[in-house]
Amino acid sequence: MAETSQQVPVTVLTGYLGAGKTTLLNRILSENHGKRYAVVVNEFGELGVDNDLVVDTDEEVFEMNNGCICCTVRGDLIRILGGLMKRRDKFDGILIETTGLADPAPVAQTFFVDELVREKTRLDAIVTVVDAKNLTARLADSPEASEQIAFADVIILNKMDLVSDAEAAALEARIRQINRFARIHRATRAGVAIADLLDQGAFDLNRVLERQPDFLEDDSHSHNEDVASMSFEAERPIDPEKFNAWISALLAAQGQDILRTKGILHYAGEARRFAFQAVHMMADGDFIGPWPADAKRASKLVFIGRNLNRPQLRRGFLACQVEPAAA
Amino acid sequence: MSGRNQADRLLHERGISEDFGAFVAAAAWTRNSRVCACALGDGTLALADAGGFRRVAAHDGAALALSPDCGPAGFLSGGDDGRFLCVSAAGEITEIGRFGRKWVEHVASHASGRRAAAVGKTLHLFDQTGRAQKQLDHPSAITGLAFDAKGKRVAAAHYNGVSLWFVASQSDNPRRLEWKGSHTALALSPDNDAVVTAMQENALHGWRLASGEHMRMSGYPAKTQSLCFSRGGKYLATSGAETVVLWPFTGGGPTDKPPIELAGGDGVLCTMVACHPEHDTVAAGFADGLVVLADIASERILPVAAPGRGAVSALAWSADGANLVFGTETGFAARIDFSKR
Repeated sequence: MAETSQQVPVTVLTGYLGAGKTTLLNRILSENHGKRYAVVVNEFGELGVDNDLVVDTDEEVFEMNNGCICCTVRGDLIRILGGLMKRRDKFDGILIETTGLADPAPVAQTFFVDELVREKTRLDAIVTVVDAKNLTARLADSPEASEQIAFADVIILNKMDLVSDAEAAALEARIRQINRFARIHRATRAGVAIADLLDQGAFDLNRVLERQPDFLEDDSHSHNEDVASMSFEAERPIDPEKFNAWISALLAAQGQDILRTKGILHYAGEARRFAFQAVHMMADGDFIGPWPADAKRASKLVFIGRNLNRPQLRRGFLACQVEPAAA
Repeated sequence: MSGRNQADRLLHERGISEDFGAFVAAAAWTRNSRVCACALGDGTLALADAGGFRRVAAHDGAALALSPDCGPAGFLSGGDDGRFLCVSAAGEITEIGRFGRKWVEHVASHASGRRAAAVGKTLHLFDQTGRAQKQLDHPSAITGLAFDAKGKRVAAAHYNGVSLWFVASQSDNPRRLEWKGSHTALALSPDNDAVVTAMQENALHGWRLASGEHMRMSGYPAKTQSLCFSRGGKYLATSGAETVVLWPFTGGGPTDKPPIELAGGDGVLCTMVACHPEHDTVAAGFADGLVVLADIASERILPVAAPGRGAVSALAWSADGANLVFGTETGFAARIDFSKR
């Protein structure tokens, strides 16, 4: 397993056309924040900054020949990340802008599929810029808008100058219905501190899960086409074999509906935390640092997707715990 | 340490080497076999004759692609600065093409005077004077590029297959060799009948041009980055396993025939292969930095350089077969003389 510190952090920037992605990119490229970023864009023409670390690409999504229908990846990114690794001493991180209508899944899945990409880079966070004025309309007319929110680790609620406080609160509530776990930054002209966006380690989810004290309180169901998020906590240690068997079967059966899965697991007899994550059917996991001395060693699992059956998911997860006597 | 010294004997006794501290993206020789070059991630080329290496500033960014030029004493190089260059053996640079922000990811030439550069989805053909001849468009980005042995056709790999173009044709309708998926590297057999690609799914796909038959070669633990046919076309040598995998292309192979596996045992991935231009011998580089020569018939292994200098990322024989050049991801490069003394 590659050393995390040697892997280049990659931030994926999604958001609808006109939401403010280009404004944000221009800020990241022109502001003096002490770091250098290689930027992969689709339409260079929109970007006003000239920079030898800007790479122009055409999004090329293809299906893997592995029998998994939702397993699509960005072939252009595999090539470009490989090329950028030839001069990796020239930048501190990589930013990937996706087109407005893009489904974030192929980008995220690229980081699971390609062994060289996995070895050399690490998906740091998916940042989604949303236009406060138009979000409600977008959510109504395009599935991509809710998917971009569902996939986000960080959401920039942009153009706050165009909405009232009441409207803003309603928008945040709407975003929370889809994704309870992303951090939301309110902004005008994408004016967010760069340090709050880049090199967050958000995709490895420590922070996201540790920020959720109210983990079990919401018991709403989602038996419809709306994207929603749910979380579960297990008190007793998890049996790795049971968990793998359960999650594999679950994602194989419902991976098209389950957009993202993230978890921090306490494996029986293991002093380190196990971080699990999946995008649709593609899953990955790794041991991260030990449990903090004062922390409760409970396992947490989060799902974001459609048609989530809370009682079924809870029963499945809790059944992965070791027997009480063994714990 | 004696094992390592033994493994480094050829490098020490017959090699010249230098650590450039920048990723060696590609290596090549001039057609007259006198000078080799390494394309480096800092944009320079490291040129070496028998006397030693010297650096030439070529690209503003990373040098990504390198090949011999069509003439006897030069190279073609492509970079992520969008420039397609001719570099003489003496290090003089002539710009052939400039493609803005797009990367020049693959370059190739043929001795008959053809030059090619792959820039995104477009294959740009030039003549030996540098005059643009054709722009051939593909359905997606080009991921591998090769002229056939006679220089009459050029093959470009991309998603869902390979396009094969007659260079001199007026009509510019390619023959499309189709197979669904992402093809990431390409090799043509010396008899111009077999086209083989490496695929994203750790497998190879091939086509027989005369019969239209498909070939499938799989079982790799990793992606094949490097593949080449032996001189007579009898074997296809490939990277991507913990051995050098050679598929037999005679006697009805490779379909349903087991490959020959050489130089295994260390549990380290083979990353680069280069077939000798005159003998059935293959040079191979590994992820730990080991470089060996393997004789296919006797299966004998001759160490060239010991592990420890970074994953081998470039490897090339001179056309006369007398010299080998290799480079690594951490920037070590060496030229080794195998001629009789």
